[in-house]
Amino acid sequence: MVGVLSLLVIGLPWLGAAVIWLAGDRRPRLLHGLAVGFSVLTGLAALAMLPFASSSASVRIPFGGVLGDFSLVPDGLGVFIAAIAAVVGSLAVIFATDYMRGHNEQLSRFYALILFFIGAMVGLGLSGSLLFTFFFWEITAFCSYALISFHNDDPRAVAGGVKALIMTQLGGIGLLAGSLLLYSYQGNYQINQFLANAGTFPAGVLGLMAFGCLVAAAAKSAQVPFHSWLPDAMEAPTPVTALIHAATMVNAGVYLLARFYPAFQGVPGWRLAVMIVGAASALLAGLMAVAADDIKRVLAYSTISQLGFMVYAVGSGAIFASQFHLLSHAIFKALLFLSAGALITSLGTRDLRQMGGLGKKMPFVQAVFVIGALGLVGLPIANGFFSKDLILEGGLAGGPAWLYILMLFSVGVTALYSLRLVRMIFAPQAGNGRGPEPTHDGLPAMRVSLAILAVGTLTSWLVGGPFGRMLATTLPAQHLQAESTWALVGQILVNPFTWVTLAVIALGFSLWAARKYFARPAAVLKPLAESGLGFEWLNRQIVSLTQRAATFLQRFQTGQLNWNVAGILGGLILILILLAGVR
Amino acid sequence: MLSLLLIVVAVVFAFQAIRARGLIASALWLAGVSALTALVLYLYGAHTLAVIELSVGTGLVTVLFVLAINIAGDNPMAAGWIVPLPLAIGVSVLFVLVLGWFVLSALPAPATASGETVFSDIFWQGRGLDVLVQVVLIFSGVLGFLGLLAEVKAPLGGSLAESVTSGRDLELKALEEQLLEEPESPE
Amino acid sequence: MNLSPFTIGLIGVVGLLGVGFYGLLVSRNLIKIVVCLQILAKAALLALVAAGQAAGQIDLGQSLALTVIVADTIVAVMGIALGVQIRRRTGTLDVRKLSSLRG
Repeated sequence: MVGVLSLLVIGLPWLGAAVIWLAGDRRPRLLHGLAVGFSVLTGLAALAMLPFASSSASVRIPFGGVLGDFSLVPDGLGVFIAAIAAVVGSLAVIFATDYMRGHNEQLSRFYALILFFIGAMVGLGLSGSLLFTFFFWEITAFCSYALISFHNDDPRAVAGGVKALIMTQLGGIGLLAGSLLLYSYQGNYQINQFLANAGTFPAGVLGLMAFGCLVAAAAKSAQVPFHSWLPDAMEAPTPVTALIHAATMVNAGVYLLARFYPAFQGVPGWRLAVMIVGAASALLAGLMAVAADDIKRVLAYSTISQLGFMVYAVGSGAIFASQFHLLSHAIFKALLFLSAGALITSLGTRDLRQMGGLGKKMPFVQAVFVIGALGLVGLPIANGFFSKDLILEGGLAGGPAWLYILMLFSVGVTALYSLRLVRMIFAPQAGNGRGPEPTHDGLPAMRVSLAILAVGTLTSWLVGGPFGRMLATTLPAQHLQAESTWALVGQILVNPFTWVTLAVIALGFSLWAARKYFARPAAVLKPLAESGLGFEWLNRQIVSLTQRAATFLQRFQTGQLNWNVAGILGGLILILILLAGVR
Repeated sequence: MLSLLLIVVAVVFAFQAIRARGLIASALWLAGVSALTALVLYLYGAHTLAVIELSVGTGLVTVLFVLAINIAGDNPMAAGWIVPLPLAIGVSVLFVLVLGWFVLSALPAPATASGETVFSDIFWQGRGLDVLVQVVLIFSGVLGFLGLLAEVKAPLGGSLAESVTSGRDLELKALEEQLLEEPESPE
Repeated sequence: MNLSPFTIGLIGVVGLLGVGFYGLLVSRNLIKIVVCLQILAKAALLALVAAGQAAGQIDLGQSLALTVIVADTIVAVMGIALGVQIRRRTGTLDVRKLSSLRG
């Protein structure tokens, strides 16, 4: 039963992608219907797998030889990621039926890529063989690139897509190297076997794999110093951003770290490195979000920052907290991005400075956006509160105090930019009527997705207990302890540091209220924040260095036969010397 | 010892082939190398192969070269090497030394003959796939040869030709039409 | 130094390879390049047959060498055809002038 479901949940979206691609562009309504149908079916199948989570492989297809076995292991982490990808995916597709109205050219390519991506993401979560995890990882990277550059007549979109591809692929190399190392020391690619026997690996190899995994995860989850691709990826259509760059693909890095935590936790310095990467991303991205003026860029920086929280949690050992926040973040960030999409299609602009006073004119969007913002900030009625506080608790228990203080500071910064965002868009006195008039307050299909996500933001914390139990029973290597939801809530409310967090949030709010007093220093710091705090300059240096090396090497291509033969002969001599030396 | 002598002479002939001034001379020295190689192969016991090498390597390939030189012309080249001569000699000598050391430092023990084998059995049955490969190779080689030597109606863009030639085209075309009177292939 | 037939064969192989590669480095005429490729092919033949004789499987060595002869003859044929065609189009067979695949 589980085996069939596991194969369905990957195969259905891929079948849908093929069907949609073959159906062509001539009948948009058919395409909308097919896309929604396939994605909803996938979502249902993924949800149906939840009660059957187990730690043994449900599907095992031997490919023989170098490729090893293709196995699908529906354990807690796997079905969780699969469920998020499938459910949020279907909501994003429902939203897209209205968002893509009027963009009927190449609609088939759009839906086919989204469904292809959903299948690959589900496969990434469920895969039990590290090599096939890598294959699914690469497929998601390709889909991300193709969807970011979907409007391929816009040079910025193409540039954003290429940048995302290059940076995440550099991380992918780390993953491939890790899986090859695993094969050479273990004989196969099975992850569960590795987690159980990690202690038997030589320390140097384990360290190499651990840091390679960190690099791959940081590149994929847009953590510092590999974060600059995510803000540029905002050229993608908004449903794509909500699905790929908020709810699923960027979580792949966090998922990777969480899954391999039991194996790498003993590597000296690894946990601290992970925590520092997470804390740095959380803080730096939060600061950049305060200065940004494009609504999607603010949300992009916010995503980087929240992922930093999750990475920090993994580093400190609070695996359940990190996954719980992943759940909350997927829901409220998708909600925020989709409402931003509604705003963008209604107003025709992404610039915050042209918005303002929309509270009365777009009440529905305002309501759902504010709910999403509550989740982001972490106020007690929304799911973000519970998960964020669990992270901070875990971080204090498992890591150094100075990192905890930095994270607390990030919480305050989060409150600051969230309030700024909400006020700049909806507050009556913001803006001075110069901006465009809204043409709608959320089209019907958009409202469906937004409403479901808003309800989710307010209620997803209730599944904390069963979720924890599922993780604990199906992930024996992690040694997790499960508690019921009410025990968790009680724990959070009783903890004095929860109140410290709430106080910091209040401080953040008040900073916004008192922003007149900070106008001068803010004006000085703003250009610095807009240029990505120097990381853009670093990227450009690396690119120009590569180009100069290529130009230098061009001189060796004379095109003359005799020199080519000389090169061949030289290489042959080297190989012979190497071979003779080895012998 | 005879094989050693033959091999040394073959190497000398090969060297002469490179040093020869004219192309026809070069092709003839190559024919000599092929003949000597065929003899050495015979001395090793590869009788069938020696015959084939003699007819193909010495006969067919030499005739092909002569044909090509007739078509292409035997004009002398301007002097001067691309790779400086000391470097070329140095790299080749280094290669010979390294390869010699690599090969001669690990000689296997001589094995006894594994029973009476018949060449045709091994060739047609044991290495049957090789025969298929050879057939495909010959077929594609013939097609490629015909395709490459086909007459073209109009020349290429002209930039490469212009930058190099100086009116030899007309002479050449006359010569070609003279030589290739029998129709070689349809276009 | 013991001069088994195999060693003699190897000396031949190494010598012919060296001469052939030297020719490739030094020749300027395209037809001469093909001649050098043929010299390399003879070296391959010698190597295969000598190895076959040393291993006691002379017929296997012959079969493999026959494939090498066929392949190298086809290479020579193609090389000559290319040379003729280049001569027709550009009027020269000098490799120093034929370097349009420059980087």
